[in-house]
Amino acid sequence: MGSIIEMDNVSKVFRVLNRHPGFKGTVSDLFSRDYKNIEAVSHISMAIEEGEMVGYLGPNGAGKSTTIKMMTGILEPTDGRILVNGRVPYENRTQNAQNIGVVFGQRTQLWWSLPVIESFRILKEMYSIPDSVYKNNMAMFDQLVGVSELYNKPVRQMSLGQRTLCDILASFLHDPRVVFLDEPTIGLDVSMKSKIRDLISVLNREKNTTVVLTTHDMGDVEALCKRIMIVDHGKLIYDDSIQQLKQFFGSYRTLKILMPGDAQITDEKMEKYRNDLLAQCPDSQNVVFGTDEEWLTILVPEDQVPLMNILSGMQTILPIKDMRIEEISTESVIRKIYEGDERIPQPVERTGAAAGEAAGG
Amino acid sequence: MDNSSGRLLFNNAGRLPFRRYLSLTRGGILESLTYRTGLFLNLLGNLVYMIVMFFLWRAIYASSPSTIVNGMTFRDTLVYLTMAGAIFSTLEVYLVWKMGRDIQSGQISLYFTKPMDFFLREFFYVSGNVVIQLFLTLVPTLLIVCIFTGWSIPLGWNLLFFTASLFLALLLNFSIDFIVGTLCLYTQSFWGINMVKEVIILLLSGATVPIAFFPDTFRTVVLYLPFQAIYNVPLQILVSHTYTWADYARGLGVQLFWVVVLVAAGRLFFRQSSKIITVNGG
Repeated sequence: MGSIIEMDNVSKVFRVLNRHPGFKGTVSDLFSRDYKNIEAVSHISMAIEEGEMVGYLGPNGAGKSTTIKMMTGILEPTDGRILVNGRVPYENRTQNAQNIGVVFGQRTQLWWSLPVIESFRILKEMYSIPDSVYKNNMAMFDQLVGVSELYNKPVRQMSLGQRTLCDILASFLHDPRVVFLDEPTIGLDVSMKSKIRDLISVLNREKNTTVVLTTHDMGDVEALCKRIMIVDHGKLIYDDSIQQLKQFFGSYRTLKILMPGDAQITDEKMEKYRNDLLAQCPDSQNVVFGTDEEWLTILVPEDQVPLMNILSGMQTILPIKDMRIEEISTESVIRKIYEGDERIPQPVERTGAAAGEAAGG
Repeated sequence: MDNSSGRLLFNNAGRLPFRRYLSLTRGGILESLTYRTGLFLNLLGNLVYMIVMFFLWRAIYASSPSTIVNGMTFRDTLVYLTMAGAIFSTLEVYLVWKMGRDIQSGQISLYFTKPMDFFLREFFYVSGNVVIQLFLTLVPTLLIVCIFTGWSIPLGWNLLFFTASLFLALLLNFSIDFIVGTLCLYTQSFWGINMVKEVIILLLSGATVPIAFFPDTFRTVVLYLPFQAIYNVPLQILVSHTYTWADYARGLGVQLFWVVVLVAAGRLFFRQSSKIITVNGG
């Protein structure tokens, strides 16, 4: 069976006016022909299978929303080809819309001044949802999040969390095959976030709905997605399982050592520790020494040498007052990818390529 | 590209049941009713406008040597302007404001993810408010005018033609708003162009001054423009005692002609302009 979403070498270039500062600049901008091209998305290819839940990550302005907007048919790609449900989204906007659900975390599709149940009724007509499907879904929603007590509350009186909950339910109401969630948990508190994650995860499982989720929140991705894609400066820099990324970085841990006294840790001292350690423990040639304020930090690739060996080695070299072991968090992984850490396999050609390179790392 | 006007007018509408859109009318009605205070203030505003018109035109007639000016008595003029005010309240759907705000906030891109034609979506949405105004302003005003002027408005077939004419006027006014609203895609602001539109329509349509009062050449020009089909045509159909079947047919024919032209123009303009969103970001 073919993929439900296919993007083939898709690019999107925006032509924007080069604006000038100040009053004079603003006036001259009125007549300016000085345009510049900004490539928001650059040669992205991907394939998403039916029923998958994919996390789409990236810093602000990386091109996440632009990609989502192209998939939903709002934007037309400058170059390349997109197929969603086998259709070109921007050419068959109306038919495409029938099969997708969309939540933009910053906006609402609900009717602001009406009780929320009216929005659901309107959506029922808008998508020509059969009575039985509508009834079943509403019953399921109520069972999942107890939404029926909100039915008569006007949307404008709802809390952000309640509104987001209803917005997500609304996007699943017509049994779409793909749902796009653009930063659905933005601005929510911890308990509401977890409620919304549970909801999304159940809806994905029960209905086998494909979900594409963009977010800044690593918690969302870790809780929901098996596969993540990371985009930066319009380029896809990572596309693989979240396990793969964690495994790769999970193999690194940082040993931090505090020595008694307040002697400065100089480069010469570190070089000496390094040589002493190498003498005791020959596998430690890829260990990286550094400092973090008064702490001595040692980055250990655990697939080459167990951290315990390094620790027992260091014990004989210097006096230890205190020590810590730190995992590399997924957040800092992403940050490292953003910053272009050369230890990370990039750019990724295809799923699987990353695994090979990482092992060779 | 298939740009035939038939497709422009009925694009998608043929394929999708209108029931989808009627739910928007219902939503619009409920929304209007939520803001009850606004509805009552609107009635109050109309009343004040009537009072101003009454004294203004009484002064104009008092300064004239005869009781009939440009073929209209003081009572004729007052009936005409009162009904024009009621029609204005009914047809004014603030679409430019709505589109302008949706464009500025980017909300408009959300509508592109719905299985609906944008033109019809907006039309059915605002129609909810029209239904409310029809029953809360137009019909009561009509009854009040009839009672206070001793049934000066003819009651007969003209009421049926008036209803049809009012519907065409709604489509005309909506299409013009839709075109002006689409302009907001280029200007990113709507207050100014909406004011210009408002002034042009209210003057050239005969809503503030009956067209009979216009100078001859100006009147001839105005009669060839679409604006008079919004107010002048339905009002003449309503109040005229001398209209023949041919007059009714001509009035409705002129309206129908402008509806076809402006609906097609609005849809074509929007389709071309929406590339600003689809090509250059929302």
